[in-house]
Amino acid sequence: MENEMKLSFAAISENEALARMTLTFFVAALDPTLEEISEYKTVISEAVTNAIIHGYDEDRSGVVTVHATLNGREVTVIISDEGGGIENVEEAMQPMYTSKPERERSGMGFTIMESFTDSLSVDSRQGGGTTVTFKKKFSPVQETCSSVG
Amino acid sequence: MAEICRISTTFVEYKESGKRPLNYEPKGGIHMNQIKLTTGGIVIVRPAGELDHHTADSIKREVSRLIFGGKANAVIWNLGSLQFMDSAGIGLILGRMRDLGAVEGGTVILNPSPTMKKMFELSGLGSHLMEGTEEDAIKRLGGILHGK
Repeated sequence: MENEMKLSFAAISENEALARMTLTFFVAALDPTLEEISEYKTVISEAVTNAIIHGYDEDRSGVVTVHATLNGREVTVIISDEGGGIENVEEAMQPMYTSKPERERSGMGFTIMESFTDSLSVDSRQGGGTTVTFKKKFSPVQETCSSVG
Repeated sequence: MAEICRISTTFVEYKESGKRPLNYEPKGGIHMNQIKLTTGGIVIVRPAGELDHHTADSIKREVSRLIFGGKANAVIWNLGSLQFMDSAGIGLILGRMRDLGAVEGGTVILNPSPTMKKMFELSGLGSHLMEGTEEDAIKRLGGILHGK
């Protein structure tokens, strides 16, 4: 199955649910397992929240763009912002690292994203925005009904 | 799925009341977060629907208020009705564990989904996970709080 979609929205936290819901519908035809869809939604939520909180510092005029393509049972999702960027990507990806300890972030976002995807890359320049690209392959649908007759 | 439930609830109530759905606020129901305090000073939190950066704040305020008000010395997070959680949930629980630090209180994370369980284990919270009823969790906390 091949398909493509693009969605842009204002950098406000209400839109985290919008991104999760839209991207869930985008892969619904593949009939993923409950756990696969839950992991996929978590990765989207982490990346979009990062763009809103860290990229734009919750400046509502910022725009987050999500571009997804479906190739067979593999989805590629690119989540980008044109915000402040990450000074040191390697440091930001360390477990428990957070640049905003006062905001009660767990610092586990990138670790969780890596754990729930087949591949993850982060491209960022200070002042030049951040692009997170991930791929996730959904397992083949299990035939649970046997044909009769 | 949570989103569909919410849309259909809004639609049904809109049809029945005949009012415009503008500024419609769901009355809670299936998506209401429940926070209650037992007589033994244990806060039981039952988040519902989806827990993310947007929804974590109201729970944080209420649970912190109970801890800092001197009314609570432990928290049970019953995640059995929670349909989705991202790392904001981890931050919320870690933050309340810090609040409880002052009273040396305990934390139990009850009935998380398999995906949530992986996230808690990655975050080093595996030892707080538990499957069972709230009564089981209260018993376990009794052991933690009084077994020192």
